[in-house]
Amino acid sequence: MMEKKKLRRADFVFSVILLAFGLFILGYTFTMPMKDSWGGVNNVWYVSPALLPLIVSAAIIIFGVALLLHSIRTGGARDFLDNVRKRTRGISEANVRFLALLLALASFVYMNIPRVDFFLCIVWFMLYCIAIFFFDDAKLLVRLTWFYLGGNLLLLLLFITGIDRPIRQAFPFGVDVLMLLLILTFWLYARMAIRADRRLVARLRTATIVSVVVPSILVPIFKFGLLVPLPNEGGIISIMSLIRYALR
Amino acid sequence: MLVLERLGHFFGLVFTLASDPFNLITLFAAMLMGIIFGAMPGLTATLGVALLTTLTYGMETGRAMIALLAIYVGAVYGGSYASILINIPGTAAAAATAMDGYPLALQGRAGKALGLTTTTSAIGTFVGMLFVVSMSPLISALALQFTSFEFFLLAFFGILISGTLTSPDIVYKGWIAGFLGIFLSTVGRDGLQFYPRFTFGLSDLDGGLDVIPVLIGAFGIPQVIQVLKDKVVVGEAKKFQRILPEIRDIVHNIPRIIRAALIGVGIGAVPGIGEDIAAWVSYGTAKNSSKHPETFGKGELQGVIASETANNACIGGAMIPLLNLGVPGSPPAAMMLGALMIHGVTPGPMINFDHPGFILQITAILLLASAAMWVTGMLLAKQVVKVLRIPPPVFMPIVAVLCIIGSYALGTRVFNLYLMLPIGVVAYFLTEMGYPIAPLVIGVILGPMADANLRRALMVSKGSFLPIFTRPVALILFLLIVLMMISQFGWYKRLLGRVKERIARSRSRTRRSD
Repeated sequence: MMEKKKLRRADFVFSVILLAFGLFILGYTFTMPMKDSWGGVNNVWYVSPALLPLIVSAAIIIFGVALLLHSIRTGGARDFLDNVRKRTRGISEANVRFLALLLALASFVYMNIPRVDFFLCIVWFMLYCIAIFFFDDAKLLVRLTWFYLGGNLLLLLLFITGIDRPIRQAFPFGVDVLMLLLILTFWLYARMAIRADRRLVARLRTATIVSVVVPSILVPIFKFGLLVPLPNEGGIISIMSLIRYALR
Repeated sequence: MLVLERLGHFFGLVFTLASDPFNLITLFAAMLMGIIFGAMPGLTATLGVALLTTLTYGMETGRAMIALLAIYVGAVYGGSYASILINIPGTAAAAATAMDGYPLALQGRAGKALGLTTTTSAIGTFVGMLFVVSMSPLISALALQFTSFEFFLLAFFGILISGTLTSPDIVYKGWIAGFLGIFLSTVGRDGLQFYPRFTFGLSDLDGGLDVIPVLIGAFGIPQVIQVLKDKVVVGEAKKFQRILPEIRDIVHNIPRIIRAALIGVGIGAVPGIGEDIAAWVSYGTAKNSSKHPETFGKGELQGVIASETANNACIGGAMIPLLNLGVPGSPPAAMMLGALMIHGVTPGPMINFDHPGFILQITAILLLASAAMWVTGMLLAKQVVKVLRIPPPVFMPIVAVLCIIGSYALGTRVFNLYLMLPIGVVAYFLTEMGYPIAPLVIGVILGPMADANLRRALMVSKGSFLPIFTRPVALILFLLIVLMMISQFGWYKRLLGRVKERIARSRSRTRRSD
């Protein structure tokens, strides 16, 4: 949890968000059938689907106001406004770490999982995540994050322009091969970035092993053990299937 | 005679469960996983239950319950390892254990502390089990008298009391979290009229939000972000030799163990309050009632016993409202509720009719879990401690992947992932701003119960709220809710202070006149 002063500042901002959110729910609730007919059924107020959302929106607005008043009383609002005026540029190391993680999670979930082989998605995500946090070096974190961002932007470009479709038509696992190349390039880049630092070389080795071993265990468990169809079964999972059915 | 017959039936069930080798393998494997999960700082019992739920999907219900209860019991107990050996609580439930556990380790008594926590945790789980089996018929019978008004008020009471007791900052922050949870539960087509609420035309939202991705997102993702962002560093674990406790220590502390277990069960039975609060309350009680409170925090065995017995006894306590009322007693129990629903078991007053013998089966599993925990703890403590050497930057990305695959696997819907991540990020910010996550989750789970029962109740009473005041249980619940809310206002506190002052004055006057 934040320290007290910061907390009261955050309370001010969040109370405004809560009020806006409560008003939005209230507004949306009024579009729901209250006393009029819905699906051929004549409504009465107490069976309306709007009943609970109305209670929720009222509660959120009331508590939003209470929080706002509390933040004003305790100096949170004044602090926030002072802070906005004196705002200094720059971002703390903790926030850089947060943004780097958010980038990894968002690109993993929203971009790669639906489009690239699930096994490779996990390797790409884990190799990056373990490397940047395990190296424990702010400069390396930024360098590797820029590289990771570049790689993901390349993939994004491929997907939004639709270039991935002719690639898939020409070669069924073309995008997976691209992802594999991206992973290898990232590994080489990370290896060059850490140069001869033995401690970091050992950590990169650990990151590589873990990021390959984990999907090698998880994917067969879910795919063949629990019979869960994975979001995107590309090249690697097809090879796994071939091996699985050859061994059966 | 009836008691003996029921006891015979119970132990027969225990024997049947234990005689199946697959059940035993599941029990010990889940227990070990739970201990490892609990021991690793940043991983919680709730997350353990959430992630294992995915793997139990294909299992038959009985075996799935063995796995889930074993990981729950194991994770609550496992938290003590990190607390005692590296002074970082493995779970919030073990935070109180670190107060005296680590000083004991510094004195070279880590083995003794671990041995005692293992044994007292097993006793705590056992006492919790006794309460599940003895209290369930009473609560079930009472719950059968409930009408929709009582269920609506019970759901509301659960959400609000969870918010009141778990909020680390201002109390109404817990209520805000609860109402946000109820809001999330209203997304999708409503159960009575099939009207799409807050779906924004997205067909993926028509069925509402799946509970498991919401729970995994709300509990798992904030943990991952917190540990990686704040660079949680795990220190070197203290060495220890023998962990088998001396019988003398146990016998000497029996009254304290029983008191801690009763506190744990009592707090566990209150909706939405977790093992962490049970441990702290028990620790505080032990300190306040001790003849030497000054020794607490400096390596007092009674402190370790108090917190560890209570947090494990809380499991049984949390199962009582979960099974009989459908209201989870703690965050991991909320996860258990989701798991039970996946396996086609709807907890509540009808559970004894729909699934006769299910509560007894859960009780038998708790007994087996408590025994398995003791055996695993005694045999594998030294091996389990090795996981503390795994650096957080290595295991947290694994947890993130498990959260993602776990959210996806239950419904095989990528859309669940799209929801899980923003919910996780919002939950992280809420945690940072002092909003507890447990009421939010309880809100998501109990929201549909509150919604359906409120409308059903009003339908029966034709829009009248009068039954709340004419039905005794409804009235009690209503008064509790009102009292809980107004007790947070300054004017109420001032009024209460004045009343107390007047009573004290009038008493002193009476004494003088006497």
